[in-house]
Amino acid sequence: MQKITLKLFRYNPETDTKPHYDTFELEAEPTDRVLDLMEKVKGYHDGSLSFRRSCAHGVCGSCAMRINGQNMLACKTLVQDLKTSRITVEPILGLSVLKDMIVDMDPFFDSYKKVMPFFVNDEPKPAQERHQSIEDRERFDDTTKCILCGACTTSCPSFWSNDEYIGPAAIVNAHRFIFDSRDKGAAERLQILNDQFGVYRCRTIFNCTVACPREIQITQAIGEVKKAIATGSLD
Amino acid sequence: MALNRKVGFFKGLKYKGGGPMWAWILHRLSGLAMVFFVGSHIIAGFLTQQFGSDVGIAINIVYENWIFQLVLFFLVIFHAVNGLRVTLLDLWPALLEYQRESIWLEWLVIIPLYVLILFTVLKSALGL
Repeated sequence: MQKITLKLFRYNPETDTKPHYDTFELEAEPTDRVLDLMEKVKGYHDGSLSFRRSCAHGVCGSCAMRINGQNMLACKTLVQDLKTSRITVEPILGLSVLKDMIVDMDPFFDSYKKVMPFFVNDEPKPAQERHQSIEDRERFDDTTKCILCGACTTSCPSFWSNDEYIGPAAIVNAHRFIFDSRDKGAAERLQILNDQFGVYRCRTIFNCTVACPREIQITQAIGEVKKAIATGSLD
Repeated sequence: MALNRKVGFFKGLKYKGGGPMWAWILHRLSGLAMVFFVGSHIIAGFLTQQFGSDVGIAINIVYENWIFQLVLFFLVIFHAVNGLRVTLLDLWPALLEYQRESIWLEWLVIIPLYVLILFTVLKSALGL
């Protein structure tokens, strides 16, 4: 066990006019996750602490937070990985804070919906499944891993400065369908992304790629979409 | 009421994006610095030639100073090489997988080039 100083961002819209930080001294195992520490605070110290969590196993994408200044999933971040006994947890940037770590995800999901994140193919259904070669499936494999946690979009300085920018997560999910050989909606999606608030707001900063808890090569996916728009080819 | 989404300059700077984010910030700042330099150069030239102004001469003295020139050379070289790196990565997205390596390569180009300039400027300025 080791002593951990956990500093938490706090904001209660009913009682606070501005945010503040609360500090808690906790005992933790090196293999405890930051989410475990927050559960401990909520369960034993301050029940009013608010944060999103669901699966707690890196799949649902609910617990994206800024941990020691960097976007991470609280459920995938071990105390020993942070290499310090002082841990600061804050909400992700660029979205309105509703309470403590809970942010308003509506603008994020509005951008996601804009790129038609669903399969489009009006051709008659085949008798069995739609076949796809291993190579064609491989083409968009990386971007299928997105869990919509928002860690990428809220780490992006272009998004911080303008929330009309569609953001890395929406582009990743567009990429997943644009490069799917069975899908027929690529041209429409590319048109949506070829907008002043589309892919060209990406300044190749790489914060999204660094922040992604699923290790998706996000900047590369955005680059491929940019290239597809510029050349009009998916090759 | 929910807190405003606004991310201020210093709040953004505190985000730990690492090397790639700092390269981007330095690229922006070096771009602004060059606009400032070129602007002051034009103003100084105009004031000196048209009015024989002492202000123009004073600006000239500042940017002809060797310390100013060393800073300026660094910013110009960084801006050029980093811009080239980002352009190449944008043109060939497959290379984006090696973005960390591209930053190391960038410094491998910048450092010897700058050492050469450092040597040349100091030799002339300090009469070495």
